[in-house]
Amino acid sequence: MANEPPRDPVKYVETHVYLPYHYVAGDSRAGYLRALKDKKILGSKCSKTGKVFVPPVVNSPESFAPADELVEVADRGIVTTFCVVRIPVTGRDLQLPYVAASVALDGASVSIFAPIQECAPDAVRMGMRVEAVWKADGEREGSHEDILYFRPTGEPDAPQDSYIHRL
Amino acid sequence: MEQAQTMEFPYKHSTGQTVGRFLAGLKEQKQIWGQRVAGLGVVVPPPGYSEVDGSEPGEWVAVKDTGVVTAVAVVRDPVDKLHPFSTPFAYILVRLDGADTAMAHVVKDDIHAVKVGSRVAAVWAPDEARVGSMRDIAHFRLVP
Repeated sequence: MANEPPRDPVKYVETHVYLPYHYVAGDSRAGYLRALKDKKILGSKCSKTGKVFVPPVVNSPESFAPADELVEVADRGIVTTFCVVRIPVTGRDLQLPYVAASVALDGASVSIFAPIQECAPDAVRMGMRVEAVWKADGEREGSHEDILYFRPTGEPDAPQDSYIHRL
Repeated sequence: MEQAQTMEFPYKHSTGQTVGRFLAGLKEQKQIWGQRVAGLGVVVPPPGYSEVDGSEPGEWVAVKDTGVVTAVAVVRDPVDKLHPFSTPFAYILVRLDGADTAMAHVVKDDIHAVKVGSRVAAVWAPDEARVGSMRDIAHFRLVP
């Protein structure tokens, strides 16, 4: 019998990750998703600070005060921060490179995540003004995917102090 | 409003010297190896260092493929692709003969008879089916 295990290690262990999710939206998120079908983006306003959170929240994660007053925000805004992704993800069919951005919509105090298209990745910058490109009428389902992506509007960049606290 | 979505992807862990050689022992030698480490004795599977004082491990120690159940949890309703079997089975911790710590594995048969203190023995996968995985031991079985 050997004194030790074999000299050559087995290099990898392969496992298969299988995660079925069944997501059930609460009233707040359901309202937000339903409004997307009508090309409306909803946020909610903190009763204490007036900050507008998108998607809507029931209580402010910052002040903990109720934030159930719904407000509509624009489907255009400012790129606050972004990253250019050049690495593929196993199991996903993505065209590389792509730009994943945070967009502060006009009227919102925080950013949402969105892809940026119709723009060379090298041209994306903080402060770039963008607008949503929606799925066509009849194709929207009340889902995050109803907004396909954001594209530059061509307007002058927003000044830094207008978005730097809304990352 | 609800949505069903599945995330499914292969995951490849690199093992390193310690776990890699332990797995090679299962595959090639049908042998379970532990390491003697400070403060704990013989640890199976081998950790590569002492979790008590961080010191380098001592010698490799061959342990038997039989041992004592120290904990058991029966899974009555296995989840497809998550659990190793589609019929009810039991997770166990088994302290193999020669080891000072217990190792996680499974019992497939007579699961309601498995208790803390039960003696079990490994059922190995056939030579050609062993790949260097904990499942080179297919499962443990109760021994009388």
